[in-house]
Amino acid sequence: MRHRTILEYRDYRYLKLAVLVVLAVIFAYGWYKYPLGHYGGSPLGYTLGTIGALLILWLMWLGVQKRRYRTTGNIKGWLSAHVYLGASLVIIVTLHAGFQVGWNVHTLAYVLMMIVIASGFYGVYTYLRFPVLMTENLAEDTLESLTLKIADIDRETRRLALGMSDEVNRAVLASIQETHIGGGVYAQLRAKVSDCPTTAAVKLIRARSGTVKGDDARKHQDLYGMMLRKERLVARARADIRYKAIMDIWLFFHVPLSVALIAALVAHIVAVFFYW
Amino acid sequence: MKTKLATITRNKKGQPVSTEQTVVAETLRIGRGADCKLHLSDPRISLFHAEIICGVDEISYIEARGGAISVDGSLERAATLKVGQRILIGPFELIVLPAQKDANLALSVELIDPLKDDLEEVKSHVRAGLKSTWLSKRTFSWIAAVAVLLVFLAWPVLSALDRGHGKTVEKTAFAADASWDVGPLSTAHASFGSNCSSCHQQPFVHVTNGACEECHKKIGWHFALETKEAKALHTSVFGDTRCSSCHRDHKGPLGLVRTDSGLCTDCHQNLKSRHPQTGVADVAEFSKDHPPFKVSMLLPGKTGADAIVRIAQDDKKRLIEASGLKFPHDVHMSPKGLRGPDGIAHMECKNCHVNDETGIRFKPVTMGEHCQSCHLLEFEPKATTRQVPHGKVADVIYTLQEYYAQAALTDAPIDVVLEDGIKRPGQRTGETRREAALVWANTKADKITRELFEVRVCFACHEIKRGEANADPSTRWLVAPIAVTQHWLPKARFPHSRHDTYKCSSCHDIAKSKKSADIAIPDIKNCRECHGGNVTTKDKAPGTCETCHGFHTGSPKAGVPAIVPGGNQPKLLPKTVTINTTRSEQPAPTLANRAGGAPQ
Repeated sequence: MRHRTILEYRDYRYLKLAVLVVLAVIFAYGWYKYPLGHYGGSPLGYTLGTIGALLILWLMWLGVQKRRYRTTGNIKGWLSAHVYLGASLVIIVTLHAGFQVGWNVHTLAYVLMMIVIASGFYGVYTYLRFPVLMTENLAEDTLESLTLKIADIDRETRRLALGMSDEVNRAVLASIQETHIGGGVYAQLRAKVSDCPTTAAVKLIRARSGTVKGDDARKHQDLYGMMLRKERLVARARADIRYKAIMDIWLFFHVPLSVALIAALVAHIVAVFFYW
Repeated sequence: MKTKLATITRNKKGQPVSTEQTVVAETLRIGRGADCKLHLSDPRISLFHAEIICGVDEISYIEARGGAISVDGSLERAATLKVGQRILIGPFELIVLPAQKDANLALSVELIDPLKDDLEEVKSHVRAGLKSTWLSKRTFSWIAAVAVLLVFLAWPVLSALDRGHGKTVEKTAFAADASWDVGPLSTAHASFGSNCSSCHQQPFVHVTNGACEECHKKIGWHFALETKEAKALHTSVFGDTRCSSCHRDHKGPLGLVRTDSGLCTDCHQNLKSRHPQTGVADVAEFSKDHPPFKVSMLLPGKTGADAIVRIAQDDKKRLIEASGLKFPHDVHMSPKGLRGPDGIAHMECKNCHVNDETGIRFKPVTMGEHCQSCHLLEFEPKATTRQVPHGKVADVIYTLQEYYAQAALTDAPIDVVLEDGIKRPGQRTGETRREAALVWANTKADKITRELFEVRVCFACHEIKRGEANADPSTRWLVAPIAVTQHWLPKARFPHSRHDTYKCSSCHDIAKSKKSADIAIPDIKNCRECHGGNVTTKDKAPGTCETCHGFHTGSPKAGVPAIVPGGNQPKLLPKTVTINTTRSEQPAPTLANRAGGAPQ
């Protein structure tokens, strides 16, 4: 059976629900005439604001739910609802505000919400795109198995290089001791390392291969083959870390901005009723 | 050269285990190369790392070759070997041991810094997952939430609760609660807008009517609250309606006044269901469902509330003005012109109907300003400098008696006809003829008075009846009381200045009007030619309730006549009524194309 994404969960159950909610809200907005125009303070504005605020709290609650192992219901279902109902907030809250914006805490809450939703859309995109790329990249391996394979090669190359020139030996040792996989935020996201010692060693061995003969040439050939394999394994390990980082990085915006949104929402509601 | 080498390894307990061997060579080559007698198999060692040479004086020394050596902690190119010396070659430690028999040199060799396990080595260079970096959702969340709450909640709240907040705002022109502002204030309120507490006086409490009334002292409710019934009606209709139910600020410069028809029609399209005693007709919309206009006509000889009668414009029989004057518009506006003191004159509306300062209505037409330049009150053709006063009947009689008595006795420029002949102008009247002259004067004055009140001058414009012949002079002729209506449609506003692109005659049809009884106030059809209903269409101007009517009609102080519940007549029609409207800010209209209106 084909893999069903969260978007397709139970025949788009939550997409249908979200569309229904959005259509109802748009209809109410078109149908309802308020003498002072559409804005957050009209009866419809208050209603949509309440719906929006409750929806935001519920979506946040999902975030808390996900952190617990013993969750009620299907996590896929929750996530599907989170995506579609979260997206419906764009319409609900825009109509709540009656398209009015300004330089104030009210629009701050709105903008935070839109950024959270946009980052969420990016998250859905990564969810749909990167697991496939990760599978293609790793095939039957895992990051752990790649590490083991690299260690094996390191052992072999180290031994082989002991009997070779100091230059080659040093390059191999540098490859063993200085090849970094992953690292900081940038390194994880970028995956390409311009001064990678393994790549440098590969280049050096290839260059030296032409200058040696006989037994040395065979040793160089063997070493070159092993270092090429290592270079490929290192690239795959780095790609794996990069995909994981991309799949995670948006959450470092999505989650803190959601929390900031809750704070702005509290300020927004207090401000409205403080100066009623 | 003969060297004793003790290779030291460690057992599981960490205790040293020594393996000894003797090396005989010309020099002791040290390195990872196969040809090195001291073979150190470690990638950190060069192929030919260093060399120990025994000199002719049996003194040994070490020299660095392909790698670096450290002798007793300092990097050296070469060093003489002494017992107890500690030499580091890569990860290996060489210690010079005391000399032994049959050997030039004794050394211990120990790998003191072995390589890490390869897997550990690789793992130590793998750092996966953003959680392993400085990124932290929890920290970011705390920072963002606390920052938002501090800047946009705590600071504004503390600032707003500060009793001196207003003064702080005045001094610094900055308000922390500005971030709470939902939108620009109306133009009128913008000046004190940075001090929120001007209107929002108590936290979490709606803006009170009292806050509005601190400035808007004159504003009245929808109708006057002078009777118990009116107050009860007000409570039942408006209940707890607040100013801000309709006047919602923070919606831009023009957003403060509610202009939708629902403001009125919610009640007025079926007013009887709310207030059965009402005399106000139902109205749902201007273009199709609005009753005929009612004019408020001034009644002659009445005062106070009785002075005004409201007549619907479709009640044609009653739609007759009894102003007490005769004024044929057709004669005055005749294209042929009028005979005036300076020849033929062509009159225009603006000659009599002059705009008031607001541009909304017109100044009253007065005899002195608008009529008398043509309608001179001359009574004696030969005495064109003399006119009777425009005022009381008795004054006219006295003026004539005085004039003719003077003429009879002095040198008035008229012929005085006496029994014994005619006294020509300039002739003196002798003592014997004085009595006869006065008799003539009285007779003449009576005759002319009769003429003025029954044939010409006064009679030309006024409705006059003959009174008692020998009565008091003031009742000898009864001039009808003047009742010129000043404001025909006091319950609506019609700014003439906003309609000055039209000719007066577009609305006021007076070209064929022969009598002053004709009323030329345009009816609803006339307005509907240009004004549509609630919905603005391409070919019509809007015609919402607010286009013509105001809401706050409950207090004459507000500048509009008070509406009294249960009746549809204004209590008192002020002589000049100014309508409180922003439209007075319009530029002064051009007199040349001003529309004609009702006589003021």
